[in-house]
Amino acid sequence: MAFQTITGSSSESGSGLFPTLVFVQGNEQRTINLDHSPFTVGRKVDKDLVIADPRVSRDHAIIITENGRFHVVDQGSKHGTFVNGERIQRQVLEKNDRLEFGVRDIAYVIFNPQHATSNTAREFLSQISGMHISTETTDLEKLTLFLEAARKLNTTGVLDEILVTLLDATLKLTRAERGFVFLKTDTGELRLAAGRSSRGEPMLDDKTISHSILEDALKSNSEFVITDTSQSLDLAGRQSIVAYDLRTVICIPLRKPQVQATREPGANPTDESSAEVMGALYVDSRFASRDISSVSNDILRAIAHEAASLIENARLVQAEEAARRYQQELSIAASIQQRLMAVTIPEVPFARLCGRNLSCKEIGGDFFDAVNTEDGLAVVLADVSGKGVSAALLASTLQGMIYSQLTARMPLPEIVAAVNRFFTQKHIGEKYATCIIARIRPNGELEYVNCGHVPPLLVSGQQVTRPAHGNLPVGLLKDATYEGDLCLLKPGDKLVLVTDGVTEAENAKGDFFEDFRLEAVAGKGSLDEIFGAISTFCAGNPLSDDCTVVELSYTG
Amino acid sequence: MNLKMDSHTTDGVTIVTCQGRIVFGEEATELRETLKKLLASTRKLILNLSGVSYIDSGGLGTLVGVYSSARASGADIKLTGLGQRLRDVLQITKLVTVFEVYDTEQQAIAAFKKA
Repeated sequence: MAFQTITGSSSESGSGLFPTLVFVQGNEQRTINLDHSPFTVGRKVDKDLVIADPRVSRDHAIIITENGRFHVVDQGSKHGTFVNGERIQRQVLEKNDRLEFGVRDIAYVIFNPQHATSNTAREFLSQISGMHISTETTDLEKLTLFLEAARKLNTTGVLDEILVTLLDATLKLTRAERGFVFLKTDTGELRLAAGRSSRGEPMLDDKTISHSILEDALKSNSEFVITDTSQSLDLAGRQSIVAYDLRTVICIPLRKPQVQATREPGANPTDESSAEVMGALYVDSRFASRDISSVSNDILRAIAHEAASLIENARLVQAEEAARRYQQELSIAASIQQRLMAVTIPEVPFARLCGRNLSCKEIGGDFFDAVNTEDGLAVVLADVSGKGVSAALLASTLQGMIYSQLTARMPLPEIVAAVNRFFTQKHIGEKYATCIIARIRPNGELEYVNCGHVPPLLVSGQQVTRPAHGNLPVGLLKDATYEGDLCLLKPGDKLVLVTDGVTEAENAKGDFFEDFRLEAVAGKGSLDEIFGAISTFCAGNPLSDDCTVVELSYTG
Repeated sequence: MNLKMDSHTTDGVTIVTCQGRIVFGEEATELRETLKKLLASTRKLILNLSGVSYIDSGGLGTLVGVYSSARASGADIKLTGLGQRLRDVLQITKLVTVFEVYDTEQQAIAAFKKA
């Protein structure tokens, strides 16, 4: 592929960042760096932008650079290429142009949308790099000043801007013709992150960079490498080996700043090999134009030490941003779950139901629900294993399944057997749930199915008994079978269901609330008293699990 | 990380002793990885849980998960050394009907010999 340099006025190409394409399709939105030319668009899977729609041609269009501008060129597509709603064959692209390929409105691309962030940061940084300091200030001092200022400004963490300004400073100080920053991706590959010429033009293409020099520099223990391409292995593969193409290369590996505490005592303090390489600064100059091999070692060393921490800071800020956005998503999920979990208690003449949940996390795995049918008033209390989002997902699914089957008046053992089949067949892993479903008829007949859950409390007058029939939890073993049991309630009796967060509530000494305390308070009081007793017992020690208590009173 | 596991082999049976808590997270992962590794080279495993003070729903899920896959590949895991708390948990969840539980290691080893 031919070497492509983009030239243009600074207002057009901006700060030398790669232009971006924002691809929008339905709810999906992706930002793509336009970091090479030609950039292909089509339905074929090997395209740079794959749009999977039958109206998009396999080789639909390309975006190329020519004389510093970007052009979109239709490749004879069936349904056409559109810029801002008009069908075109070939068109120069301006910032914020809207491109459509074959399909209208469903999927589109915005070319080089404006970055909303820190124009002021960029302005300030470019002011610093063009700063006129007193002539006594050495290049090294200038560099240190600049890098310190850049680091302080890094509160907004616009990584791309930092990289380009770093490159500018490096080019100025080394007097090299062009420079590139490579950064390691999560998969360990080196990605071209920014490129600049000494004239301030962005450089998008790394085809003429000596990758073998780059790899060697990264593997070496040195702070920087000065060499030239006549000694590299790349020459053998080059299409045109012309004398003027020989270049002096300075390659500065960027190593992640080390925390002092992790240094082994007695280790050689100049041993950099243990520091993690996160990328490299690569600057070069043609033999014919400038000799950069005598650039000050102090300058190179300063760049080596400072640049990495600068980039790392910017990355950390970006990571923080991502974490914040993720946290927002989680809050939304939590509020949806809360709404799903809100129980509408059915009013029936023969029984009274109340329940309360005390969550110790934002997203929980406990829930209870109630359904009234001709078979009676049914209540379900469930506890999904584990914690966090995965437990919550399962809880919501479980709730839906049980609710619908209760409404359809399925026999209780069949309901839990169906749930068990569903979850064990899905091979979710080690996720399962314990649950109790209890259903009371107007005549006091209580049918219940207990699947591995804390046995219910049957309070009759002063007596508290624990109906003991039980089964395996649901979702644990695929061949499990389930049976229910019956008991008869007298008017005034009540059934109390709890999750194990109640019996396993711990105080500061490490004692558990346990069954005997629960039985003692359930016999005398109701929900308020039970939660009060738990709270008194824990005496400020935080809950480690959700607590749910449900009370079903038979009035007759 | 509050789980320590040691193993030794006697009479062709591998005995794994656990110390600590088996809970959702690093401990459950440790249980799973260690047992899976051992089951690659043995079909007879005894899990001695006398040093385990607490097992939560996640830990139980892992225990059952490893047990199921062991059984599926022709191996067996027997339990011993269960304290009152663990016995209660297995009782409530009816997992006593699934696991073979013995009072002592010797009894568990003997059960392997009889089979």
